[in-house]
Amino acid sequence: MSVDAASSTPPARARGTLLWSDARFALLTALGIALFPFLLHPLGGYSTLATQIAIVSIASIGFNLLLGYAGILSYGHAMFYGGGGYIAAILILRTMPTHPNLWLAVLVATLATTILAMLVGALTVRLYGIYFALLTLAFAQMIYFIVEQAKEWTNGDDGLQDLPNATLPLGTANVDLTTHLPSLNLGPFGNLADLQLWYIFAGVVLLVVLVLFRTLTRSQFGEVLGAIRENEQRSVLIGFSASAYRLAAFAISGALTGLSGAMRALFDGSVAVDAVGIDRSGSFVIYTIVGGVQTIFGPVAGTALIMWLENVLSAKTPLWRLIEGLIFVGMIVFFKRGVIGTILKQEQKPRALFARSLRLSPEEPDPLLKPVAEGHRSGPLSIIETFKLGKLFGKFAAVRDVDFKVDPGELRAVIGPNGAGKTTFFNLLSGTTAPTSGTINYKGRDVSGISGTSRVHLGIAKAFQTASIYSDQTVLQNCRLAALARVQGPFALQVFRRSLRLADVDAVAERALDRLELTGVADVRAGDLSHGDKKRLDIAIALATQPQILLLDEPVAGMSKDEARKTEGLIRRLSTEMTVLVIEHDMEMVMGISDSITVLHQGTVLATGTPAEIRDNPRVQEAYLGGHSEAELAH
Amino acid sequence: MEAVFQAMLGGLVLGLIYIAIAVGLTIIFGTLRLVNFAHGAFYAIGAYVGLVIAQHIGLVWAFVAAPIAVTVFAVLLDRLVLRSFYDKEPTSQLLVTFGIALVVEETLRLIFGSTTQQYVMPLALQGSATIGPIEYPAYRLFFAGGVIVMLVLVWLFIERTNYGLIVRAGVRDRIMVQLLGGNIRRASTVVFALGGAIAGLVGAAATPIYGIDPGTGFAFLVPSFVVVVVGGLGSFWGAVLGGLLIGELQSLTNLAYAPASNVVIYLCMALVLLLRPQGLLGESEVIKQ
Repeated sequence: MSVDAASSTPPARARGTLLWSDARFALLTALGIALFPFLLHPLGGYSTLATQIAIVSIASIGFNLLLGYAGILSYGHAMFYGGGGYIAAILILRTMPTHPNLWLAVLVATLATTILAMLVGALTVRLYGIYFALLTLAFAQMIYFIVEQAKEWTNGDDGLQDLPNATLPLGTANVDLTTHLPSLNLGPFGNLADLQLWYIFAGVVLLVVLVLFRTLTRSQFGEVLGAIRENEQRSVLIGFSASAYRLAAFAISGALTGLSGAMRALFDGSVAVDAVGIDRSGSFVIYTIVGGVQTIFGPVAGTALIMWLENVLSAKTPLWRLIEGLIFVGMIVFFKRGVIGTILKQEQKPRALFARSLRLSPEEPDPLLKPVAEGHRSGPLSIIETFKLGKLFGKFAAVRDVDFKVDPGELRAVIGPNGAGKTTFFNLLSGTTAPTSGTINYKGRDVSGISGTSRVHLGIAKAFQTASIYSDQTVLQNCRLAALARVQGPFALQVFRRSLRLADVDAVAERALDRLELTGVADVRAGDLSHGDKKRLDIAIALATQPQILLLDEPVAGMSKDEARKTEGLIRRLSTEMTVLVIEHDMEMVMGISDSITVLHQGTVLATGTPAEIRDNPRVQEAYLGGHSEAELAH
Repeated sequence: MEAVFQAMLGGLVLGLIYIAIAVGLTIIFGTLRLVNFAHGAFYAIGAYVGLVIAQHIGLVWAFVAAPIAVTVFAVLLDRLVLRSFYDKEPTSQLLVTFGIALVVEETLRLIFGSTTQQYVMPLALQGSATIGPIEYPAYRLFFAGGVIVMLVLVWLFIERTNYGLIVRAGVRDRIMVQLLGGNIRRASTVVFALGGAIAGLVGAAATPIYGIDPGTGFAFLVPSFVVVVVGGLGSFWGAVLGGLLIGELQSLTNLAYAPASNVVIYLCMALVLLLRPQGLLGESEVIKQ
């Protein structure tokens, strides 16, 4: 691991440059949107198609927030798209047939779909992955059948036709968006008068959505969403609520899709039941995959490409849908990045988003030692204590009736033969697993019922047996995320602010790296680290959450002897500042650094005592020698 | 009362179709960790192969040809396309099976057109049988009996064979099965083909009742997803229980208040998700993976 840290440090960017980059993005995007219908014209597209593409793109962008950035696949976005369309249409028909107000209809529809997304999301975001796709599909079907059956409101299979032409109140004027632009012949690019004001309206909305979406993906919210996508287990145990972030992403996604659906219905002057159908849901999947996930413009390009092809081909050949399907499969198999992703194909370097601004001076107070405000300990109370703690997997008791008590500042080793329940015990303490019986008291408070995420914020952090890190991020960024979680809490809807302005976060992260002697590799991609460095990084991540108790699950497993001794020293130093619990098989280390040792055997506590007591305990010897790990006590 | 009994028998037949599809989904999920969006395509291919064979050769052969054809298709699919997706994240697998479903559906539309088709059931089964107070179409009873026999065979496969052992273990912990040396690759192909064959056979057998158009497979697939979610992903008996529940619920609601019959199953699913997210007979570990 001899990467020159300095060479990979990106140049610090001034704030002004960032603003300029935002402005440039907005200008170029506006230019593209303005030119689009004229470029489409010679390709056989109409201004109507251009407007529809602009509108539907908004939904695809919303869909991509989930698939590309949150990493979850929704097969039910038609419920928001069609839902938005129907709500806007019904609103206009029922409440303002004579003076249809476009703003109002679109706004209400967007709000309503946002609420729908939150309801559906509340039921589904916890069950992520494959389940999520199934459930969104099923809920969309439910909405489909509701729309189909509520004939009185929706006119059933025929849909709602001939909506009154909604106008856009701007100041005192009511702008009719169907007004055509003044005539101006542009030769092969058509005539300016082909366009209605609708295109300008849709284009402006699309532009705003794109600019905001780009900001969001670069915001702290986007950063955390990406972290959860990359490593949920880690993200939860540095204190981010994965469900809350996913729910927020789902709601935003639903809002954008509803907005798009409402605009489409008002533009078309009609909405039909296929707007809530399965094929509609599938279309967003297709547009986004073909265009390119995890890119800002991918969904827009995919929408434009497929809708244009459909327009050109569907009239000419019955094969169109098959061609669409083949394009889609072809993209998945051969060009996973999609059109835009393939064009932009540069190896995605770990974005060293953050100039390493801070150089800590020794005089500065150590941020890691900041006393955590809450829960002052009074007297010689234990810091963590369990009573009759048990965990059943089916009928198998992995942990049984464990009474366990650790004093503040202690370094306690938990040992035991393989299968003794050590890792399960740690999972119970960290909140990864819920106990089936017993309680856990942390600083006198029963924490058995609260989530792992919340426990991180109370000061319990864990490093995993298999290092759980963000492989695609820099080493420093790994720790920044942990520090950020601690500063921001389980959830913060910071969709505009970038997190790089938080000096506190940098200070904590750098200090954590310093403690584990990883400062030299701070700008290296974490996935490129050696095994030992990854294990130490995992500890540094836990440390950056500023814990009072550090749970280390086999911190030196798989390390060379030298590395193990070095890590041992680092842990010993950490234990002067906080309570440390460590599971370890390396007996030399256990005997060398522990204040006390607890031996687990078949899920129960066999013995607790000082290293010397444990060494001489006949029952411990029997458990080990009678088991299969005699080598472990040989030292 | 007779109407209720009729509806319950109808619910049983419908439920058995859902079960047959859901069992395939469940064992494929257990072994491959794959939710197969192309499973409806298996149903449709089976139905159309059955249609062609029944029209030109004979109905009995339709029931033989359909599962064989789908098995061949499933093996090819597994070997040529899915294999390279085994190691990728679940999302890409979902996407690729969705794409395959799309291509199959459109290919069928191209060959057979969009109209619903049906074939005539054998003379011997055209009448109706009398059970208790009611008359019921004999073919439907034959269909129900046949599907039940098939499910028993599948259950024996899962419980009594080595492949079944891999399926059962894989639901709990797929990586462990690989570590223990289970030949999960071959088992994957076998299970994928088996799941496909079940759907194909049911597709062929159900066509005299429900007819077939290119979208029918997917139309049956979505309620089967609901069945799997309600019963618990990865659980054989969950699929059976969920299928009966959903089939009956749908059929009885249709009798009581027809417009709600399609909505009620999704409400049932939402309820189960709220109260028992892992499904009625599912294990909570499965949904967290």
